[in-house]
Amino acid sequence: MNIIIEPYILMEIFYKLVRYVPVTLAIAVTSMLLASILGILVMVIRMKKVPVLSPIADLYVLLGRALPTMIVLYIVFFALPIILMVFSESTGKKFDFNQIPAVTFAIIGLTLSTGAYLAEIFRAAVQSVEKGQMEAALSIGMTWWQGFYRIILRQAAVFAMPLMANQFLNLIKNTSIAFMITVMELFGAANVLSASNNRYLEVYVVVALLYWGTSITFEKIFLVIEDKLAFFKKGIKQ
Amino acid sequence: MITFKNIHKSFGDNQVLKGINCTIPTGSVTVILGPSGSGKTTLLRSINFLEKADRGEIILDDLHINVEKASKAEIHKIRQHTAMVFQMYNLFTNKTALENVMEGLTIVKKLPKHEAKEQALFYLEKVGLVNKADAYPHELSGGQQQRIGIARALALNPDVILFDEPTSALDPELVGEVLEVMQTVVQEVNSTMLVVTHEINFAREVADNIIFMDHGVIVEQGPPEEILSNPKEERTKQFLSRYISFNEYDI
Repeated sequence: MNIIIEPYILMEIFYKLVRYVPVTLAIAVTSMLLASILGILVMVIRMKKVPVLSPIADLYVLLGRALPTMIVLYIVFFALPIILMVFSESTGKKFDFNQIPAVTFAIIGLTLSTGAYLAEIFRAAVQSVEKGQMEAALSIGMTWWQGFYRIILRQAAVFAMPLMANQFLNLIKNTSIAFMITVMELFGAANVLSASNNRYLEVYVVVALLYWGTSITFEKIFLVIEDKLAFFKKGIKQ
Repeated sequence: MITFKNIHKSFGDNQVLKGINCTIPTGSVTVILGPSGSGKTTLLRSINFLEKADRGEIILDDLHINVEKASKAEIHKIRQHTAMVFQMYNLFTNKTALENVMEGLTIVKKLPKHEAKEQALFYLEKVGLVNKADAYPHELSGGQQQRIGIARALALNPDVILFDEPTSALDPELVGEVLEVMQTVVQEVNSTMLVVTHEINFAREVADNIIFMDHGVIVEQGPPEEILSNPKEERTKQFLSRYISFNEYDI
């Protein structure tokens, strides 16, 4: 009994836990995609100073970054169904919100939390593009949207990529708190498993390795994307 | 024809344009001279609404725009009739030289790609840079970038081309190639050209008309031989004497 960690048990735990990696990734990737859309929307609303929406967007960015993700998740999981319930009763349509899977709330919560950060990242990225680029686009008769989409966004993307990678890696790790609202993802599965077999050390070593492996993989993927987006900073077009 | 009627513009407390009235005939080359801070660039940029003047009227052929009430549609329309060459070139850094010229043709003029490419190459040829068609802006010298900028403006076949100090950011050695291109352009293109510059010799050689501005007003205007050799206003004389002697000293 001198061996602290038994390789065979590690393997067994690995097989049991690795199937939860896709769950974690699905939550992270979905939240990231939704948060990116939300972030761009919020950034544009604030940049264009859209009446009514702009102060709301300001408040959102302020709160979204000030609140711990776990609290956002709790608010979404416990408060949102109540609000929806009241709302649906007042419109006369009944819907049982308990049927909505917890993972949906996890995704909503993580999206809201990440979106606030992304809105700021996108703002910084867009502001990093020289003012003259938009002026040139307007001067040749493009609309603001055409210039924004075809010129500004593509240059800003290069700036935003490393920051988005940071945010995404954070998000992968943050999915672990989805367990607090009953979502059975990687960390949740690890907790359940270790409680049942009392192999805390082994389980958490494996879980750490799995998070680590996933993060490293995505770090590399983001580097490749960044490289591809920056094509215009390199040599003559092939 | 471009007409300015009583154009006013302030940046905070700083009054930059104090009631500009003038008319620029179609197809002419007009050079705007004046010391820094005289409002010449602001005037130029107010035409395509990169700078929105506070009040006054801008008339481009049959397009009458009351600046105060200018609608998005009107602004968009006047931008489609004008093109601009910038001091800092402002080429789209994420596009090749060719794509820079094509962008307005495919997106704004909605030409099919092959046609746009053909035209873009034609204008690159005109500025002598067909061999750089696939280069990105950062791979080009300032002078080359500015020539692409000129090609981008020409390709749109605009009624008016606005040159905003096109040679000011260039190395002295590169100024020549850009001025040369501009000179050929002036001879071959029918667009009205409005040029803000400090190149007095360029003004003397190619301008039909010179406007001298100072402190937000037009001090004097007329044909180059009159303004440059025989200015009436004291302020113009003062400006030119420094300028011309400085230039001679420089040579």
